[in-house]
Amino acid sequence: MSQATEKPDGTGTPEREISHDEYDPVGTAALIGLYFLILVALWIFMYFVEFLGNDPTVIGSLMVGIA
Amino acid sequence: MNIHTYEKAWLAASLLLIVGFIVTITYGSVGLGIAMIDDSEDTIEPDELDEDERFAEPRVEQVGENEYEAYVVARTFFYNPDTVEVPANSEVTFYVTSGDVIHSYSVVGTNLNTMVIPGEVSTMTAEFDEPGEYGVICNEYCGGGHHDMEGQLHVVPEDEFDMTELSVEAPDEVELGDDATFEVTVENGQLDDLETTIDLEVGNETIEEAVTVAGQESETTTIDVDTADLGEGDHDWTVTVDDYDESGTLTVAEELEAGDDDE
Amino acid sequence: MSETYIDRFPAEAKVVRSAFYGSFLALAIGGLMGIIQTLHRTGYYRFIDSADYYTVLTAHGVFLVISFTIFFLVGIFTWAITTSLDREVEDIRFTWGWYALMAIGITLTGIAILAGFTDATDISSSVLFTFYAPLQAHPMFYLGLVLFVVGTWLAGADWFRSWWAWKQENPGERIPLPTFMVLTTMIMWYIATLGVATAILLFLLPWSLGLIDSVNPTLTRTLFWFFGHPVVYFWLMPAYMMWYIMLPKVSGGKLFSDPLARVVFILFLVLSVPTGIHHQYLDPGIAEGFKFIAMTNTMFLLLPSFLTAFTVVASMEHGARQRGGTGYFGWLKALPWRDPVFSGMALAGLMFAAAGFSGMINAGMNINYLVHNTFWVVGHFHLTVGTGVALTFMAVTYWFLPQVTGKALWSRSVGLAQVVTWFVGMTFMSNAMHRAGLLGIPRRTAEPLYEGFEYSAVVGSVGELQAQIALGGLLLSLSLLLFFANVIGTVLNGKSDSLPANEYAGTLSGPEDSPRVLDNLKLWTGIAIVLVIFAYTFPLLSIIERGGLFGPDVIEYVPISVDSLPLLVGAIELVFANTLAAIGDGGTALLEGVTR
Repeated sequence: MSQATEKPDGTGTPEREISHDEYDPVGTAALIGLYFLILVALWIFMYFVEFLGNDPTVIGSLMVGIA
Repeated sequence: MNIHTYEKAWLAASLLLIVGFIVTITYGSVGLGIAMIDDSEDTIEPDELDEDERFAEPRVEQVGENEYEAYVVARTFFYNPDTVEVPANSEVTFYVTSGDVIHSYSVVGTNLNTMVIPGEVSTMTAEFDEPGEYGVICNEYCGGGHHDMEGQLHVVPEDEFDMTELSVEAPDEVELGDDATFEVTVENGQLDDLETTIDLEVGNETIEEAVTVAGQESETTTIDVDTADLGEGDHDWTVTVDDYDESGTLTVAEELEAGDDDE
Repeated sequence: MSETYIDRFPAEAKVVRSAFYGSFLALAIGGLMGIIQTLHRTGYYRFIDSADYYTVLTAHGVFLVISFTIFFLVGIFTWAITTSLDREVEDIRFTWGWYALMAIGITLTGIAILAGFTDATDISSSVLFTFYAPLQAHPMFYLGLVLFVVGTWLAGADWFRSWWAWKQENPGERIPLPTFMVLTTMIMWYIATLGVATAILLFLLPWSLGLIDSVNPTLTRTLFWFFGHPVVYFWLMPAYMMWYIMLPKVSGGKLFSDPLARVVFILFLVLSVPTGIHHQYLDPGIAEGFKFIAMTNTMFLLLPSFLTAFTVVASMEHGARQRGGTGYFGWLKALPWRDPVFSGMALAGLMFAAAGFSGMINAGMNINYLVHNTFWVVGHFHLTVGTGVALTFMAVTYWFLPQVTGKALWSRSVGLAQVVTWFVGMTFMSNAMHRAGLLGIPRRTAEPLYEGFEYSAVVGSVGELQAQIALGGLLLSLSLLLFFANVIGTVLNGKSDSLPANEYAGTLSGPEDSPRVLDNLKLWTGIAIVLVIFAYTFPLLSIIERGGLFGPDVIEYVPISVDSLPLLVGAIELVFANTLAAIGDGGTALLEGVTR
């Protein structure tokens, strides 16, 4: 089986080998940073706009008995 | 263990997110007073709802100046009462239970949403500031007719809200010359006194009686009508109190058939 | 010629194939139900009675999330154990035994459900995947599930046997990562299934046979969710396994960190079960304090998924850069997008990252009022199990099926079209489901439009949402057809001798970098059990005390006051002992019932 051909199967020979110490996942850091910002924005939107804006909401009763 | 600096940073950010989510929820509870459905009510026997004062007669009751309680029973595939009516500017506590399987009581377009489990009573308290009409649906699968299970919640303007009930006892037939006796019972479910007028229209006659019904009481007023003024024949009558009325027909006869007396 | 799985393990390959075929059959039935539902709910095409919709929905849920997912995962777990330990199973007959038990079990349950479509028999089980009492299914439904679950328990035993045997011959060696993942997943599964096994064996099965008069609905519901949350991790952990040990290799690189992968799986083992009450935030009968504890546990359960996101993406990036990719984002282009094994997993992972967000919302205690039992929840799990897991399983099939048959994949381009169509279809359908849920549109209903009111949409309209759901559903069905075409085409293909070798990803940071304590399965199991006891003992005792063990009619509660610690332990032992006794009793009673 030849691995040198242009087979787009992901298991082809890599162009270069990158060792553990040479590797800094900067792309991952960038993507994950973006993801973090999206999560924060969406959470704030969902909680403070969608949820709190959907009242009436269930509150503690003035007359709740302490069982 | 070797953790790359970037991944350590992400670990810290993840923990920050997690704590942030917990803090937000806690703010909702502690800061804004949002309470969860819980086990504050005692358990109940779903086969013996008739013996519970609340659920034998599901209804809305006024319990304080602007405080109401709504008792609702969910069954396949309807709610009793079908429509819950409360005034604006009130605090309402719902008590909901099931007579058969698990349902929900979910006011569409709001955060009022609770599971309804046989054996348990769900309570939800909410403040209704503005008038509005809401649909209520069961969003927990309960059988083949689940998609037909719906109700209503009406928050009416305060000046349009009442808890008045009217019932009338009137004879079907009276002998000409006798009095026809109308017994009008007005029940006032609200805490404040109800001052109103009973309008009786029978034939061409109109009789008005003012009546005051004390809070959470009922008053029965007797109105006698001289049938000599009406004449012989069938006379339609209507009793009106505020927005409620009851109608019927009174027959005035020369001679009553045997055994037919006023009812 | 490189050694494929079927070359090295021909007997086990047959088991894996059978598991896959069982899985794909379930996928076909479940998928058919899905398109019927989609068109019925949205009003585009209704040919059944709305009352029968719930039979369709029960079949859809059970066939897809019990049968499709679990048959698939026992296949790849068999592969993982044998490959990573480089060892045949200890006794192939035992292996076929658990497979048969699973197959018989799910067939019984399937018949009990599908019989609901016809009046020819009295049998029906339209109780949905969650089978909440007082809704009652036919005894065959419950019995089938019991046999299926016992089959999975024996599968786990099979794999533990392999590991123990390997350990004798390899003392002091670190557990190979794939085996580590299988074992931790199965331990979690053993703990999780205690809940549903108790619910069925002690209560629901006897009740459906008429041996007991009633059940406590809150109790059986809580026992279900004891299982119902961790079951999603039973589906997810095999998918994560693929992302950790297959995706890096397919990307052209290596797994960024073996130790962190172990940590993630340990976190799942420890945290998955004591969270189930977050499915019951709106239940009466459970105190708010218990719900808060479930919430904090659930929020921390986000951590292993957050870590996975980093490690998996970093592994892909490694492959991309080894293939010549550069830049902060440009490296993405260097990935092997034309390979459906890669792109399927990558798209599944991307969609799962979005799904994670709706999960974060679902974990929130009071915000649950907004989304509970609405279509939002359905959108969420079609992204998580429906794509994160299902699309990953379909994508890796394009690698595994050749390995276990010795035949080349029928068509790479059809595979690529399949994964892309799934992703696009799910984007439309799930996005619309989330938005519909926010309007208050409910889940689990044949007809979401009601007579007495209208939904008020601020952006868009209900009609537009229905259209997207229908469109998405059609694309998903098309994607399934492409998948089955490829499966059938591959199975009917001729033998190939240019298949890749059976192997999984290497690591940048290997097991030698991870502390030995990570391999101490007994320790992590102990911690998991302690957390479950803390999360569930008080709620369960409270439920039993309030409503009776068998419901309001029969007040037979466990005679224990919540303050008494030694008696607490006794109560737990009592429940476990009853479970074992009930297995015997239930089996006998069933035989009597059947032979009458």
